[in-house]
Amino acid sequence: MIPGVTLELILYATALGLVIIGLAGVVLSSHLFRMVLALVIAEAGANLMLVLSGYRWDAVAPILLQRAEQPAMVDPVPQAMVLTAIVIGVGIQALAVSILIRIRQRYGNLKRRDVAEKMDAEIAASAGIRRDISQDAPLGERPLSPLPAHSAESRGGDA
Amino acid sequence: MNNLVLTIALPLLGAFLLPVLMRLSQAIGLWLGPIILGYGCWLLGNLWFSDISLPLSIVIGGFDAPYGINLYLDSLALLFAFAVQLLGLICWPYALNQDTARRQALMLLLVAASTGLALSGDLFNLYVFYELAAVATFGLVAASTTSAAYAATFRYLILSGIGSVLTLLGIAMIYSQTGTLNLAHLAQLAPELLHDRLGLTAYLLILIGIGVKAELFPVNAWVPEIYATASSRLSGFLAGLLSKLALLIILRLLVLIFDQPEAVQIVLILGILGVVSGEFAAWRAKDMRRMLGFSSIGQLGIVFIALSLPDERGLLALLALSLHHLVIKTGLFMLADGWGGSLERLTGAAKRSPVGAALFTLFALSLVGVPPLPGFWAKFTLITELAAQSEPLYLIGLLVFLLATVIETSYLFRIVAKLYSSAGTTTEQPEHQHLPGLSLATASLFGITLLAATVLIAPIGDGLQAIATEAKNAELYIQTVMPVTPGGQL
Repeated sequence: MIPGVTLELILYATALGLVIIGLAGVVLSSHLFRMVLALVIAEAGANLMLVLSGYRWDAVAPILLQRAEQPAMVDPVPQAMVLTAIVIGVGIQALAVSILIRIRQRYGNLKRRDVAEKMDAEIAASAGIRRDISQDAPLGERPLSPLPAHSAESRGGDA
Repeated sequence: MNNLVLTIALPLLGAFLLPVLMRLSQAIGLWLGPIILGYGCWLLGNLWFSDISLPLSIVIGGFDAPYGINLYLDSLALLFAFAVQLLGLICWPYALNQDTARRQALMLLLVAASTGLALSGDLFNLYVFYELAAVATFGLVAASTTSAAYAATFRYLILSGIGSVLTLLGIAMIYSQTGTLNLAHLAQLAPELLHDRLGLTAYLLILIGIGVKAELFPVNAWVPEIYATASSRLSGFLAGLLSKLALLIILRLLVLIFDQPEAVQIVLILGILGVVSGEFAAWRAKDMRRMLGFSSIGQLGIVFIALSLPDERGLLALLALSLHHLVIKTGLFMLADGWGGSLERLTGAAKRSPVGAALFTLFALSLVGVPPLPGFWAKFTLITELAAQSEPLYLIGLLVFLLATVIETSYLFRIVAKLYSSAGTTTEQPEHQHLPGLSLATASLFGITLLAATVLIAPIGDGLQAIATEAKNAELYIQTVMPVTPGGQL
């Protein structure tokens, strides 16, 4: 093992890393279901952090025994809290997925840009206003020639 | 005294009983919610006028403060808890349709969680109530069952999920540093354990996390779509009250735990950015609901500027602005119930609904701050207080605030002019501009409240001053929750 790198440090780094990976995933992914999955990863990181905050490396599980000498125990409070946080997290994820099912039924797909576009259009239509962004192709010649078909495919097709 | 718990427990119980009761007997089911909320109002109103000495701390479950969970009740918490129950009653989903039971149950859940947010004295409990309020909100917005409402709910859910991850991370940091989550105990330990980089990071994480609900600058992308798709009554409740409750949590954290200049500066900067972005977006908005949503971001930015002021007068300005915004914004959302669409459609609406147009004008005047309406007094307190500060950042805040007032005047009175213009009486869809009677009545209630506050401005000011002094006193909070200093920590 590299000197100075303890198990504790690795675990804390893992927790923070999971949160960062998750948040980056939420921001960067172009599919709504992937956003939910990324959120799950971030929540796992936060939960790990919470467990670590009360953990002691030289202690046993917090169960009271009828013994003369009581060995040192880990702090049970964060464990109770993390249980609550996990339950809340699962509930919210289930809700998120059920909402996604509805969005898929109504809008036909779950691409982030497409859904945002359709939502804006629907709100504008129900309010009875014209939108700023034109839905049609721009007039006139294109200043740059369009990309060849295969390179447009490789961009993931979410444009 | 323990019946204070009922203001949280009864709505919670009602929320889970309601769908069952509704199946057994619709009459009982329909009355259950309003009765529970009415009882809550009566209970808290009684407390206000009784001779019980506030503040007080109520121990839940028989364990004393640093180890057990406590509710903390001071005048500020009482005021907000009362406002939650009352506004819950006012914004109650009375409309009958096939999912009335679900809506009413979720509304009870939202009220229970909001009351918990106002009263809880424990950081983790605050987190749980916060999530509970979030889930109830998702359900209520999605109950509109339009496709846009689902998409907006999903966006809100993701942002709120990010917020809860950040909050949880902050809580974990605080716990690993101090070993407690009781606010009073934290306040005791904070000067030696949390006034460093780690504490500031934890504060920033919680601020951004809780700030999702408070429409804080970088995490408020959900606001316009949610207010555009949710029912007006729900939007009124969310913009008027839930955002203020999130603000209340941040206030408690600032006063009790993170009383450092950096922590305050972050709030000030984010507030200024919120004002600028919100007001400009509101000026550009073309429909009533999204305009109100953006304007609410701007207003809360102003409240955040007030939050960053160091002394009691700043807290007084914060309270005045918050309550003023609560009354005005909820009233305006009630008007948006009928006038929710494009601003163009409002041309000449004053002829069809003179009361609605008069109310809109009244709200607009007070929001801009025309004397003698209460808005003037609230804004004047903030201006004098900002001008008294020596730091240049506060002067920027003052300039931005004045600029925001100009923009507000511009977009609000553009609408007032439209309402009273006689040019476009040949509108094509008159049925869209019809104000429902219930909404108009509710909006009138807020209008009357506003006028009453104009007359009673002196006693209200004194009352708020007392509340501000009490809320700013961190020592009092610690002494109330933990009368004897505990022997040791965990």
